[in-house]
Amino acid sequence: MAADAAVLHEVCAYFDEKAPVLFFKLSPSGVILEANAHATALAGRPLAGEQFQNLIVNFTGELDISAFSEASGPERLFHIHTRSGLPQSFYFSFKPVSDYILVFGRLDTQEIEAMRKEVVSLNQELNNLMRQLHQKNAQLSRLNQEKNQFLGMAAHDLRKPIGLIIAYSEFLIEEAAGLLGKEHQGFLNTINSSCTFMKRLVDDFLDVSAIEAGRFDLDLQPTEIMDVLEQSLTLNHLQSVKKGISLEVQAQEDIPRAFLDASKIEQVITNLVSNAIEHTRPGTAVFIRLSCDNEAILFSVQDQGPGIAPEEMDKLFKPFEKTSAKKTGGEKSTGLGMLITRKIIESHGGRIWVDSPPGEGATVSFILPHQRR
Amino acid sequence: MIEESLYQRYFNALLAGRRPECHETVQNLVDANIDIKALYGDLFQRSMYQVGELWENNRITVANEHLATSITESLLNLSYPLVFAVPRKSRKALISCSPNEYHQVGGKMVADIFELNGWDGHFIGANAPAEDMVQYIQEIKPDVVGLSLAILSNIDQLKHGIEVIRADFPNMDLLIGGQAFRWGGIDMIKSYPGADYVSSLDALEKMIRL
Repeated sequence: MAADAAVLHEVCAYFDEKAPVLFFKLSPSGVILEANAHATALAGRPLAGEQFQNLIVNFTGELDISAFSEASGPERLFHIHTRSGLPQSFYFSFKPVSDYILVFGRLDTQEIEAMRKEVVSLNQELNNLMRQLHQKNAQLSRLNQEKNQFLGMAAHDLRKPIGLIIAYSEFLIEEAAGLLGKEHQGFLNTINSSCTFMKRLVDDFLDVSAIEAGRFDLDLQPTEIMDVLEQSLTLNHLQSVKKGISLEVQAQEDIPRAFLDASKIEQVITNLVSNAIEHTRPGTAVFIRLSCDNEAILFSVQDQGPGIAPEEMDKLFKPFEKTSAKKTGGEKSTGLGMLITRKIIESHGGRIWVDSPPGEGATVSFILPHQRR
Repeated sequence: MIEESLYQRYFNALLAGRRPECHETVQNLVDANIDIKALYGDLFQRSMYQVGELWENNRITVANEHLATSITESLLNLSYPLVFAVPRKSRKALISCSPNEYHQVGGKMVADIFELNGWDGHFIGANAPAEDMVQYIQEIKPDVVGLSLAILSNIDQLKHGIEVIRADFPNMDLLIGGQAFRWGGIDMIKSYPGADYVSSLDALEKMIRL
């Protein structure tokens, strides 16, 4: 008997100290009289004298311990406050014994194991998806590169024959107009204007292809921006005259030279002024302003058109996106001009933006820093 | 080449579950343009084999092993911008874990080694049923199929997988490897014509380049 008692004592001591189970002896009013080592370690403090319900994460108000204290009652799931701050869940049995209540709490190890497997499996799935995502991104990037190469080659090969058609159609318009009837002169004009648009499209494709392939190099030279502006205005002159639109320039006189790629900035200004003319009502004016301060050159062009709705602003610099603002002369657009424009400005370390207060048309502005070297 | 002191620091952090420290170590190596094969072989593979040995010798718990595996798997993601940037060769490999095999890091690293050599390395994942593998083979039409086994007691499921694949694709080249074969089973692989045992990532690379 003495040996049995010693073994029993050892078993009890083992479970008290090592097993991840909770054991409490409570008074009928729910005060903890004794708690085992695991319960004390989990709470991080001695528990004798505390109300058992203070240990429970309880969202439903007062816990009536006596209600759980029937000998044959079911196990109840409670979450215990722990010293780590993270509650832990146990299944509790309440056993009334003479003038106190024994409480046993156990972990559901099968449930924990099932959860662990599920977490491992979810983690694996997530990592596999990450791998697929990287793999697909790499494939898309390669396809995009191939598309740009193809686009660049196709556009380059189209440019020369289109240029020849434009040149010969202009020659015929000037030299052979007298030999042709009105209808055939109209055909020639259509050939010429369609090919001119096609050449613009091809030029834009070549620019976009160079931008996306990372081959958009700048030839930075000390440049008088006023010269660049005047050259652009010369190019826009015929278009503005055709629509009876005057180009009103307000330019500061003493703008210092800046390191710019003159041909690319000319492309930007020509494009912005051309867009403004296209959107401005005939018989009115486009306002072009050029100024500078110690740090940057500021350029803006303001049209007198319908303006751009706020919800359409983010379409402006995206390829092939068009806003609902109608061009006043029905002009065609490649849908690439603003994208190229922004790229050129950003390549110079500058910034471009658009303002369009309701009823006041649209103003496109950019700044270019003076010093790049 | 990974310095021994760096490896030891990484391994200690891995075993202790210090994910941010492991992440920083690997990110620094990737940023320094480490040879990805060295990263895989000298850091990931070596540390996972060491974790496996500690587990097999009852020195660490299942939870320790799973945490280290999980950290390693998440770190593979850091190398992918380099792994998938290699020029293509129009060849495809399909890699899968054996049925009932839940350890997938080794198989995934094998798929990545194919990618590093310009192949498309498709990876199915852990515990792939043999019938699913057949379906993937029909869809992807790979040049080679790789099967990974980490726990030797799953060898019967691997045999079943090989036989199911062989039934539909009798001439398919099979590459089989994994930590399990340190304990035996290589003869089983050799009993299947057209199936080759792959002992390491280096051996795999030599086979790919043949």
